[in-house]
Amino acid sequence: MLKELWKDFRSTRVGGSIFRVGLPESNLERAQAAISSFLLHLQPAKVHRRVLKFRTTLGLGLISLYLFLILVGTGVLLMFYYVPATDYAYQNMKDLEFVVTAGQVLRNMHRWAAHLMVLFVVLHMCRAFYTAAYKPPREFNWVVGVTLFLLTLGLSFTGYLLPWDQLAFWAITVGTSIAGYAPLIGQKLKFLFLGGHVVGESALIRFYVLHVIVLPVAALMLIALHLWRVRKDGGLARPDEPQPTREEMTTAQLPVTKTYGLMELARGTTPAVGIRPEDEVFAWPDLIFREILLLMATLAVVLILAIFWNAPLEQIANPVHPPNPAKAPWYFLGLQELVAYSAFWGGVVVPALLVTALVALPYLDRKRRGVGVWFSRERRVAITLFSICLAAAVILTVIGTAFRGPNWAFQVPWHPLHAVEER
Amino acid sequence: MNDQVKNQLPRRTFLTLCLGWCSTLFALGASLAAAGRFLVPNVLYEPNRRFKALRPDDYPEGPTFMPNLRVFLFRKGNSFRAASAVCTHLGCTVNLAGGGFHCPCHGSVFDTSGTVVSGPAPAGLPWFELTLSRDGRLVIDTSQKVKADKYLVV
Repeated sequence: MLKELWKDFRSTRVGGSIFRVGLPESNLERAQAAISSFLLHLQPAKVHRRVLKFRTTLGLGLISLYLFLILVGTGVLLMFYYVPATDYAYQNMKDLEFVVTAGQVLRNMHRWAAHLMVLFVVLHMCRAFYTAAYKPPREFNWVVGVTLFLLTLGLSFTGYLLPWDQLAFWAITVGTSIAGYAPLIGQKLKFLFLGGHVVGESALIRFYVLHVIVLPVAALMLIALHLWRVRKDGGLARPDEPQPTREEMTTAQLPVTKTYGLMELARGTTPAVGIRPEDEVFAWPDLIFREILLLMATLAVVLILAIFWNAPLEQIANPVHPPNPAKAPWYFLGLQELVAYSAFWGGVVVPALLVTALVALPYLDRKRRGVGVWFSRERRVAITLFSICLAAAVILTVIGTAFRGPNWAFQVPWHPLHAVEER
Repeated sequence: MNDQVKNQLPRRTFLTLCLGWCSTLFALGASLAAAGRFLVPNVLYEPNRRFKALRPDDYPEGPTFMPNLRVFLFRKGNSFRAASAVCTHLGCTVNLAGGGFHCPCHGSVFDTSGTVVSGPAPAGLPWFELTLSRDGRLVIDTSQKVKADKYLVV
């Protein structure tokens, strides 16, 4: 029934002009669809069988992308009501909560999707590390990925000043003060971020512009580059396979239908190289189906979270009294725990070293060992080092989240200290 | 024309290249510099750092918190002094409790003279210059720092 309707629509002049190829039924049409459709051409017409297996990537990168798209969608909607002025911002939040139809759910979706995106980008990075997906020729794409991770954190950071509540105000006060500790340019940088000496109107409008246009556009362009490089660097990382022999290549094994992929032969590491025809499957319909399924699942999880849990909104920003304890969102609490020891070492030196190490990683660890294999035994040293850093980050985050009470004093979560009465 | 001369860049091409690259880089650099400078505001709409408070007699004995400046004003008989309430660590407002200042954000503790006792704060809380205006009111200048033991006696 639906298929008939679709065919009728495609047979009209307009329908035919929009969709060049109908629902593919033969292999030839599957290849044509992948080449001539804008959305479908983001992936090759044929992919390795491994790509269809969930355990190859756990879908982490794709989920991150979907979360980004959800954030763009909900974010644009929120922009219709939000005014980035200190007199209005908090009232707009209250309007979204109580007055605007579906306002609360959209804001919740935006908040939870943002939290999830941080989580999934980190998980995606771990996946890329533990399957050695950063080894040549994918070094640069790993660097693009690290930049995207930093952009994700930047988007979160600029985003949470906007509600102009207590968390917003004090998180930005603390965050920009950390920037002030950077050697030489620190104070100038802080002034530039805030557009003044204190967190106020000029800081709000600056963070707004960064949050709604500068960083998202940068992220979108880098995501496009990231996806493009995945293809150009040879598809998903996979273990080296025995190359087909010359005899195999020149006899019946030679794939007849490979002409569609000729433009991919521009580089030596294309998906077509080293794959035996029997290892390939068409992207349509199996891969496409899995991708849409993952999109549905991501959307469903975000929606359920948004319907049952409200995004927190604290009291309106009070530039005089910070809440006690004044905590950033969970993903910055590891950093906050570090700056509680020393702002310069914990807030500037350690993060700078970590980012440098992440960027340098694929250029230092270049031997093609264990590519495409989870926790390959050949990479024991690298895996141990990375896991230690990861564990340290997780432990610091847990301490900062659950084990810190008023005045940042140590407490146990099952016996919380009472908040200190403010004078 | 011998081979050596043939391999050299002709003067005209060299000069053209120089001119082209210099102007391109200059245009790029100048645009970037202008855009960067554009982002630095020339006028700030922020509270004045010099603040005229009430008359000395209007303040009670002991500490008074002045929220708009984030300053603690201390009175001891006829002597006045003013301490910053902004933590030198990352800018949170400190609380006055138990004979010292406590920062709620990262747990820095200062004693009554503003000196760091514990925590991550890199420097003590500064004390600000107090003067008396002609009409007999206290003037706090948060851009002028003084020593902890300097009192304004009225």
